Amino acid sequence: MHELSLADAIVSALLKMCEDEAWGRVKKVRLRVGALRQVFPEMLEFAFSTVVKDTALSGALLEIEEIPLEWRCLECGNRWREDSGVCPLCGSFNRETLAGMELEIHSVEVEET
Amino acid sequence: MNKIVTLQQSVMAEDEKFAAAIRDRNTRMGLLMVNIIGSPGCGKTTLLEKTALHAGLSMAVIEGDLATDRDAERLARLGVPVVQINTKGGCHLEANVVEKAMESLPLDTLDVLFIENVGNLVCPAEFDLGEDFKVAVLSAPEGADKPLKYPYLFTSAKAVLLTKTDLLPHLSFDMEMFAEDTRKLNPAAPVFHVDSLSGAGIEQWVGFIKLKAKEKKANVR
Repeated sequence: MHELSLADAIVSALLKMCEDEAWGRVKKVRLRVGALRQVFPEMLEFAFSTVVKDTALSGALLEIEEIPLEWRCLECGNRWREDSGVCPLCGSFNRETLAGMELEIHSVEVEET
Repeated sequence: MNKIVTLQQSVMAEDEKFAAAIRDRNTRMGLLMVNIIGSPGCGKTTLLEKTALHAGLSMAVIEGDLATDRDAERLARLGVPVVQINTKGGCHLEANVVEKAMESLPLDTLDVLFIENVGNLVCPAEFDLGEDFKVAVLSAPEGADKPLKYPYLFTSAKAVLLTKTDLLPHLSFDMEMFAEDTRKLNPAAPVFHVDSLSGAGIEQWVGFIKLKAKEKKANVR
């Protein structure tokens, strides 16, 4: 989706926390992104590196953890990780999404002040 | 020494606050809000025009477009309360602008508020506007392969509309593939076939919206 506005939202949120929590230099930002979230990692990394320029986050590294899609069949309880939403065991369409919709700032690594 | 601070915070946290506020208010008022998403030219505005002509549904529309208020004019002509948002270059609507637009609508007289999102199958699907549900609109000429190519929208929508079905005889639209892929992505979503020009299928679509609006009203505590 819109990687630049995502990068902007991440950086805005972190800059505010930087100030509120009086963090030292931010070294690394860990992001968890589900496979269904339409995020193109390379583009987001590039957008992030552009947005942090001349801010307190300058030089911070963005680490993206991609979370694969995981389904659970509501008929037979089987769990699977393929792209197809059809249960490979019983062929049912009736399932819930366990993982793959994440879009969160998981953690940051900051220098102790 | 470095320390790790665990946040586990949604990237869209700021805008999600606006979405939550909208959802809260709509729940208190019993107002159904539907986010209509589809490509440019897939027939979103025409669908809303035909929906407005159906009796027994008090509706308003928030229109999202890059430029012009042409869509808003079309709906205003039918007496539909409508607010146009021009995003300049923005490819989707966000909850903070929707909240502002809602201020100028007679919310307490409405059964349903439609948001016609910016024509786009990608970004609009990602942003929570505080709606009850999203509706994915695909016009037949776009091709049957689109649900799998844009899985996020078709997975997260509560209903799928196939529009311009009157053109099907002239297209090589693979209906079996469309039905199968849509079902794989979203087994629970009803699929409506609509030809807005003749009005075929509008009845079923409006019936679905009326039912959802009624359910919403019934849940006001």
